[in-house]
Amino acid sequence: MADVTLRQVRKSYGSLEVVHGVDLDIKSGEFVVFVGPSGCGKSTLLRMIAGLEPITGGEISIEGRVVNDVPSPQRGIAMVFQSYALYPHMTVYENMAFGLKLKKTPKEEVDQRVREAARILQIEPYLDRMPKALSGGQRQRVAIGRAIVRNPKVFLFDEPLSNLDASLRAQTRVEIARLHDTLDATMIYVTHDQVEAMTLADRIVVLNAGNIEQVGSPLELYRNPVNTFVAGFIASQRMNFIKVAPEGTQLRLPGNIALTLSGVDVSKVRTIGARPEHLNLATPETAHLSGTLAVIEQFGEYALAYVELPNGETVTIKLDGAPGLQLHQPMHIALPEGQVHLFDGEGRVIR
Amino acid sequence: MKNQVNPWLTGNLTVLIIGMLPAIVLICALLYFTAWAFAFSFTDLALVGRKSVEWSWVGLENFERLFTRRGFLESLWTTVIFVFFSAIVGQSVLGFLLAATLRGTQSTLRTVVEVCIMLGWLLPDIVAAFLWSATTSQTGLINQLIVVPLGFPPINFINSYALPVVTIANIWKGTAWSYLLFSAALDSVSREVVEAAKVDGATPFQRIWLVQLPIIRPHIATNMLFITIWTFTYFPLIFAMTGGGPGRQTETLAVFLYNQSFSRGNLGFGSAISVAMLLIVGFLSLFYLRLLREPK
Repeated sequence: MADVTLRQVRKSYGSLEVVHGVDLDIKSGEFVVFVGPSGCGKSTLLRMIAGLEPITGGEISIEGRVVNDVPSPQRGIAMVFQSYALYPHMTVYENMAFGLKLKKTPKEEVDQRVREAARILQIEPYLDRMPKALSGGQRQRVAIGRAIVRNPKVFLFDEPLSNLDASLRAQTRVEIARLHDTLDATMIYVTHDQVEAMTLADRIVVLNAGNIEQVGSPLELYRNPVNTFVAGFIASQRMNFIKVAPEGTQLRLPGNIALTLSGVDVSKVRTIGARPEHLNLATPETAHLSGTLAVIEQFGEYALAYVELPNGETVTIKLDGAPGLQLHQPMHIALPEGQVHLFDGEGRVIR
Repeated sequence: MKNQVNPWLTGNLTVLIIGMLPAIVLICALLYFTAWAFAFSFTDLALVGRKSVEWSWVGLENFERLFTRRGFLESLWTTVIFVFFSAIVGQSVLGFLLAATLRGTQSTLRTVVEVCIMLGWLLPDIVAAFLWSATTSQTGLINQLIVVPLGFPPINFINSYALPVVTIANIWKGTAWSYLLFSAALDSVSREVVEAAKVDGATPFQRIWLVQLPIIRPHIATNMLFITIWTFTYFPLIFAMTGGGPGRQTETLAVFLYNQSFSRGNLGFGSAISVAMLLIVGFLSLFYLRLLREPK
């Protein structure tokens, strides 16, 4: 268990800077998820913490010790790779024991630690198998086991679930959450999947183009995103963004209906955001937005209706159950009081 | 899914045989030459003279001569030394070290080294042999540039150290192949596996020795198989550089075979040598093919 601190961490390849001065404090025992679109620098950041990528500028410290020039094995970290990165020529047991053997750990201790990790991950029956005789999920566990055996202060996960199929991914996600609870270790987890981020993290770090957009607990990010990027990225259904024009104390919506909000200066508002699950169906009289149903996706427990507004914009609305809607029928939507996010011209939130 | 083949093709024996004809001819040619060498290894056929026409069967006499007369066993030993040092130790190890060190670096150094070893490979054997003889002779470049300026009397390397010089020449000539093969093999090792070893605390040497080498073991075995067979039967460079001499110092089996068959004209004995070489190379191939198999 250890704190991890990043101070103005930068990374450049030649003249191209890909991480622009990241500051972050990760508390001991915390599960932090780096999330963001591909190329946002999240993996680079993780690899810098791991010591696989030199740090161009700034400082990374683990447990209060600056590790910029400390080689990976001495940083007290263990890493789980996206491709599992198991040694194909070694059995599961040898894979897990490799790091300890290199450190000349006594045989009995190696054996005890490998078997303990195998027990936690329920891979004891496979210890003598070669990695190629295992399924994807089993390999993933071996990779995690290899990390556990080293007894690291910090676990680093680099998109560990992206090579698994959907059902196995959900299952392994739960296991990782349980593992964090059991081991009580600091974990840093990189993913582009916001569901993994929401479900696993104590705190989520949303990255975009080499910058941190927002850091916070999953619910904080869900409820109070600081900008349109975070608002659009977090949650399974993307937030609806609707262009508006301020008029005095009101906002002019597409379709020429005015929205009145109390206690807010709306003069700078250019976009409003509302999550599909917060929108309600309304009558033509109470509606803020009206349009026609372009597409409907039925999931059984809920349905997503895509409503095309007269100006060509599409608004998604999440409806409970299996509503009996016809394609191209008129739809009337009400914006919920208190669930509307306001953004200025630069996409920053206005509270 | 089964291949969909036109039933007219599969059902018509004549068409099938016509289609197979090129392959049959090739196989027959291969068998014919092997059988020819094998058959004449039991005769006293000569290149010229009376015995080139009126040859007779001599049973196992040629094979007995391999072991009773001077020549074959000495040549075999020379060949073993030549193969071991120039191919297995030289080309293979040097090729691997170059591939491992230059891998991942996109420097000018890499390009320069690659071009250099490629040139050695692409240069015709006879030209290379001439260059090496000229460079290592009494009045050659090495003596002019290094030995004499340092105040030592000139050394006739090609004469005094014939086998080492030939061995080094062959290393220079053949390393490109091993380098290319090992470069490709190392590229197939996942970058993350090597990084995992790095995180696990493996030193650069351990990463190569304990992780990368075992992973590319099948490639190593394939390479060994190729270069052993090639070097075992390699002829032009040695023959052009030394002709097997001085004395018999560099007379490998290929040179010995040539000298016996075409200088002395003993085609029958030469055939016996070639059959023996075939058996030795075949035996080595079996050994390497076992290495190729996956463990367990």
